[in-house]
Amino acid sequence: MSKIHAMMDIGKRSMMNSQTALQTSGHNIANKSTEGFSRQRVEQQTNTPIGMGKLRYGMGARAAAVTRVSNPYIEKQLGLERSVNGYAEAKAEAMGRVEQAYNEQSTKGLNQFIADFFNAAHELANNPESLATRTQMRESADFLAKDFSRLNNQLKSVQRDFDGQITQLVTEVNEMTKEVATLNEKIQQVELSGGHANDERDRRELLLKQIGERINIKWAEGKDTTVTITAGNSALLVAGYDAKRLEVTPTPETATKAEGALDIVYYNSERAEPLVVTSQFTGGKIGGLLEVRDQVIGELHNELDRMAYSFAANVNEVHRRGYNGYNDSGVDFFQLPKDIRHASTSLKLDQRVAEDVRNIATAAAPGSAGDNRIASAIASLQQVKFMDGEATADEFYTSMVGKVGIQAKRAMTSAETQQNIVKQLTNLRESISGVSLDEEATKLIEYQKSFDASARLIRTADEMFDTVLNLKRM
Amino acid sequence: MRIADKMNYDQVNAGLQKNRSDLSNLQNQAATQKRINKPSDDPLAATRLLATRTDLQGAQQFIKNINQAKSFVEFSEQSLAEMGDIIMRAKELAISQANDASANEGTRRSTAAEIEQLRGQAIQVANRKMGDRFLFGGFRTNTAPFTPDGDYLGDGGEIQVAINRESKVPMNVPGNRVFLGESREARAPRVPEPSMDDTPGRNEPKVPVREPASQFPELRPSPPQPEGPRAHEQKVAENISETWRSGGTNVFRVLSDLEVSLRANSKEGVQEALDRLDSALAQVVVARSEIGTRMSTLNSASENLSKGVVENKSLASSLEDVDTFELVSELNKSESTLKASLASSSKLIQPSLLDFLR
Repeated sequence: MSKIHAMMDIGKRSMMNSQTALQTSGHNIANKSTEGFSRQRVEQQTNTPIGMGKLRYGMGARAAAVTRVSNPYIEKQLGLERSVNGYAEAKAEAMGRVEQAYNEQSTKGLNQFIADFFNAAHELANNPESLATRTQMRESADFLAKDFSRLNNQLKSVQRDFDGQITQLVTEVNEMTKEVATLNEKIQQVELSGGHANDERDRRELLLKQIGERINIKWAEGKDTTVTITAGNSALLVAGYDAKRLEVTPTPETATKAEGALDIVYYNSERAEPLVVTSQFTGGKIGGLLEVRDQVIGELHNELDRMAYSFAANVNEVHRRGYNGYNDSGVDFFQLPKDIRHASTSLKLDQRVAEDVRNIATAAAPGSAGDNRIASAIASLQQVKFMDGEATADEFYTSMVGKVGIQAKRAMTSAETQQNIVKQLTNLRESISGVSLDEEATKLIEYQKSFDASARLIRTADEMFDTVLNLKRM
Repeated sequence: MRIADKMNYDQVNAGLQKNRSDLSNLQNQAATQKRINKPSDDPLAATRLLATRTDLQGAQQFIKNINQAKSFVEFSEQSLAEMGDIIMRAKELAISQANDASANEGTRRSTAAEIEQLRGQAIQVANRKMGDRFLFGGFRTNTAPFTPDGDYLGDGGEIQVAINRESKVPMNVPGNRVFLGESREARAPRVPEPSMDDTPGRNEPKVPVREPASQFPELRPSPPQPEGPRAHEQKVAENISETWRSGGTNVFRVLSDLEVSLRANSKEGVQEALDRLDSALAQVVVARSEIGTRMSTLNSASENLSKGVVENKSLASSLEDVDTFELVSELNKSESTLKASLASSSKLIQPSLLDFLR
């Protein structure tokens, strides 16, 4: 047999349930624009009915749990794609910077200075007696040497800029891993006592995606609900409640990396020797930046050095055979750099030529001011394929520009493609976990009505009590 | 599909961003009138563009070379024409003095004076300069090639001028050939063996360095020749006798021999000089025609280059310049796309259930 106070109890609990649902809707609405938020909902269950035999009546509803709506597979995939996207975007942006150094559409560049050099050699051959053409030859060669180092330095400053970005990104990663470790602890505490750590989980998933966007990580959630993060192959960043730091430090030149460029190191423990783990980072923004910094620009520096060295060596070879204004032969035109490496920055004119243009050799035989055979031979070097025997200096440089252009374009295209993939996946994720105001508005009305109705139930029960209590006077 | 609010906003955002970036890209093209503003805009065209620019500048330089050579050649031609006139005049005088009917010792003596003067003029012509450069001294362009006695101080060097990538044309005629009748090989300035005193540490280049002599024939060392002042004199003597044998004529010697014959009142001497004057004239004329051929080579090379320059410019333009009509239509298209997406965005964002709950 039912009791009036049981009715009242149903009403009270129903009111509380509605309030919980309304509160949850409010939470959803408030977090409509919070990144990584998954909408939550109240899971209501019927209470255990009571009664005997055929007469079993319900005891109302209870709010069993507040859960979030989320598809872990899509979240995981989104994390992976965002990591690829971070890599592609960083690379495209970096290639844009590199490309700028080679942009000769509006400014003078190496192509122009090479042409100027050979044209000056032609002028010198036209007029070997004149001091003016000799001076012009020296100036154009000087400009050429300076432009070699301008290009080299511009690429270097791009590298330094990348180092700044990498430092920033590593700092961010460290902040985030620390937060993940804290969240590991909180989630474990909440969920051991049977709760759902909805907001904490949302936040942790977001952080994992953001870390993945910056650096290539692998992560897995253990049975104890904590997440373990490994960056690269071996750098264990988060385990349990513990976060380890990555650090950047300038290191000496290696075959794959320029002098002073930053390496990323990992400390296994406070006391342990730092491990250089740079080469493990091939993904995320840091991976993209490292690739452009070390591989792309490294290769460009090599090519530039090789070109500067070959150029100087070949001009010298011809020039040394010639006789200058003082009838000396064997004088160098360029001061040949000691090593091919860094040749493009160290290239400059031979001391004697720089000091006195009469030291420029034009003649193939001594004693003839009008002998232009050496000057003419230097001018003809423009057509000589001295770069590996298959390209002239012009062709070599042009193909370098083409290569940079193609790499930049490819990087931009793949960044765009990746952005679209991420956009689609994000859409899919939002479609599942995103907040819809219409939906929440409907729920507001729905639960407000049930709140009203529950209150009415209590009043009805109250009136029933009154009726019962007044029985005696009737 | 369930639509969350954020999806709408993201979509509106992404769409507008894309439209705006397309539009700004097109506007950049319109402002610069260039299709390629950085290599990645079209890597292939960008590299071809650099190559055409190099070609263009090369061609312009070759045209400069040719213009310079042309003035040198023209001036040489004029000087040779004058030299021809001098020889003609000497010949007229010689004819008038070659018989005893119209000439006697007195007329011959006064004619001799005139011939001496003509010889002086001839030396002057042979020492003609263009700017600071002597025309007929071979490579020795900064000293007068002929002494007043008609001795040659220059060498047999031919100043070659590059007229295109492949070929070179000499722009001068060495005086020893045209005025002394020496062969082309005589006095050719020899290229010495390169000295082997390479400084230590020279052998480190790992890049291929081309041996210049293998690619520039003019830099190949010439066979050794006797050196020293005595050797030089001996060579000169040899050259002269060779000249006689090969039929070349020393213009100045012909004139001075004629003068001597006139002074000596030798009819036979004057008659003999007539033949030699003829061959001297022929020698100058041959040189003039050689120069004429060079002139036409230079002219046609210059024309070819100018044509190439025009073609090059139009190629560059087709590679990098925007097609204005296409650009304008593209601009209009993206502008209307932008407007359309703005309009649809306003519809997409505004209404929600809340607006209707009153």
